[in-house]
Amino acid sequence: MVVSDRFESRVTSEISENGDAVIIRVAGNFDFNMHREFQRAYRNVAPPPKMFLVDLSATDHLDSAALGMLLLLRDYCVEVGREGFQPEVELMNVNAHVSHILSVSNFDRIFSIR
Amino acid sequence: MSAFRVLIVESEAGEAAELSGLIHSWEYTGASGYISPAVIDSVTSAEMALQAYGESPPNLVIFGPTSAVEVASSQIRQLRQSSGIEPVPILFVQDLSCGEPAAPPTDCDDILTKPYSPSLVQLKLASIRRFCEFSRSLMAQRDRLRRHHADFLQEQANAREIFSNLGNESCLDGSPAIRYHLSPRAVLNGDLLAATYTPDGKLVLMLGDFAGHGLAAAVGAVPLTSIFYSMMPRGFSMGRVLREINRKLYDILPRQMFCCLAMLELDPRRMHLRLLNAGMPSPCLKRASGELHLLESRHLPFGVLATDQIDSAIVNLRVLPGDRLYLWSDGIHEARNGKGEHFGESRLMDLLRADCGGNQAFDQILMAVNAHAAEQHDDLSLVELELTDSSLCRSDLPAADHNGERKGGRIGNWSIELRLAHEELRTADPLPHILSVLAQMPGAARFQEDLAITLGELFRNALEHGVLELDSSIKSTDDGFIRYYDLLAERRSRLDRGWVNIVLSCTESEEGGQLNLVVEDSGSGIQEIREPKGVYAGRGLALLQTVCSEVHLVPGSSRVEAIIRWPAAKPTAQEDPCGSPANAVQNPSVPV
Repeated sequence: MVVSDRFESRVTSEISENGDAVIIRVAGNFDFNMHREFQRAYRNVAPPPKMFLVDLSATDHLDSAALGMLLLLRDYCVEVGREGFQPEVELMNVNAHVSHILSVSNFDRIFSIR
Repeated sequence: MSAFRVLIVESEAGEAAELSGLIHSWEYTGASGYISPAVIDSVTSAEMALQAYGESPPNLVIFGPTSAVEVASSQIRQLRQSSGIEPVPILFVQDLSCGEPAAPPTDCDDILTKPYSPSLVQLKLASIRRFCEFSRSLMAQRDRLRRHHADFLQEQANAREIFSNLGNESCLDGSPAIRYHLSPRAVLNGDLLAATYTPDGKLVLMLGDFAGHGLAAAVGAVPLTSIFYSMMPRGFSMGRVLREINRKLYDILPRQMFCCLAMLELDPRRMHLRLLNAGMPSPCLKRASGELHLLESRHLPFGVLATDQIDSAIVNLRVLPGDRLYLWSDGIHEARNGKGEHFGESRLMDLLRADCGGNQAFDQILMAVNAHAAEQHDDLSLVELELTDSSLCRSDLPAADHNGERKGGRIGNWSIELRLAHEELRTADPLPHILSVLAQMPGAARFQEDLAITLGELFRNALEHGVLELDSSIKSTDDGFIRYYDLLAERRSRLDRGWVNIVLSCTESEEGGQLNLVVEDSGSGIQEIREPKGVYAGRGLALLQTVCSEVHLVPGSSRVEAIIRWPAAKPTAQEDPCGSPANAVQNPSVPV
């Protein structure tokens, strides 16, 4: 099957150097097509980390479905928090375009951005 | 499984019989382990083969050594054309036993060579048959997908009809001042546009965009529109309705779904626009002077959090003659061209700026977006509102026209008193309560709008000037106008004393009826005449004058009385509320 490489996207995750955080990096277009991979990136971490850092440095665009996925991540942390420590969610390395999208939707009010 | 049909075309009977015997001895074991013999038809010419195609279409055609030499290319083409969508391979037999082998024929798909090697022939036949089965199963899958897709489209079309009926109550087509374009990417639209009038004649319009497309997005439109169309015409305030929408969407939507929404309330009489933008692209107010104001999102999309800050997110704007408002969904911004570039806000602004004084912007935007976007990636909506068009100022309210036969209904003699203390005043909205009482009286439709306007004005006056001690003169500048409403929201939320009293009494006799509305508050009373009124304040009283038969105010007192009268017999035409004031007013120059 031919896949258009122009909007190719992928999700990678790694543990931060101090071991406290899981860094999830989304490259390319952060949209609905990413939802399985994105979900896998935070659900498959056992035990849950102290923090999920969503690295948007390589993210070109973010659509409403992506915002929805961030809400799901936030919800997941609350769910995890019921059984113990609640992980935090932070967004990092936000470029100007993504930052604009976050502020238009006022998501900058409910997510901390570093 | 249907039989595998082999058609032999050979004019020499002996050759045909040899081929037939060869194929007959072949046993084919299908993928399921089921052994099925081939069905053999034999004809003597290409014409007859063509005929056989119509009667019992073969899966494989073999031209014997004699006919293979005789058959013309055009005949082979004809055979191929009549074979339908499933490929029917055509084999030629080439006789290598006599003389030089001819060049391999190009019209056929493969050849069998004579003298026959039974095992090679059978290998070939088996492989062709496997391919035929494969292509047949592909066709069957394709047909099944087609059926499912047709069913799916039918379901969507049904759903679409339901959703389009949801919009039946809208007043979008009722005025040339509203132009809109909705272009869903799929059958169902994730964007949603609704508009209606409040009982006191304000236009409320909302443009929403659910995260996602298709059915899931459209399903969210049901509660959204039903709340909108049930609460707005009953006189609930915009803040109250928005709060209800957020709460409902939060309760029912899956966590990753939410709704961006812009809602505006335009009071065409008081030239006042209120707007809430929750996550939508900034609507643009285009002043008659050419100035552009973007009204940015000040609220999270709806359905994200259970709590809200609606009151502080609503912006208030004074409308000036000739102002237009443009709203759009992100489908316009994000329309992509072949290189993946978005149409973007700056192109939109350029188009709006370029359209000086004319009314071409709406069409130009649509044309430019269509020219820009290679294909439509998202639902796409555009709304243009001429804010000071007189057609938005309605004098024929549905309440007054579809209750024609009830107009003569008795209203009776009664009175009600409603007293709101400070805690209620922080959030309460007396209008729907009072209107819901009146809704029980069939005859009340005739003065419902007048009452709603009057009550709205007097209540706002009592609350803002009486209880909250806000001075209208703050509103005399553009900035002040905004500051006034910020102050209002802030003081109201911290209110710890004060009251507003509303008495509504109705008397009716054979000569006609009269409704007295008395509103009083805990404030220090209306001051002496203030000078001079700016363009931003002091419209309330003029409005009351057009609606009420009498308005009584006494300087130094907080008591205001308004009287609405109507004749008994056949109801005569009411004055156009937008028209000039014709009724007696006792103290005309006090700003209300």
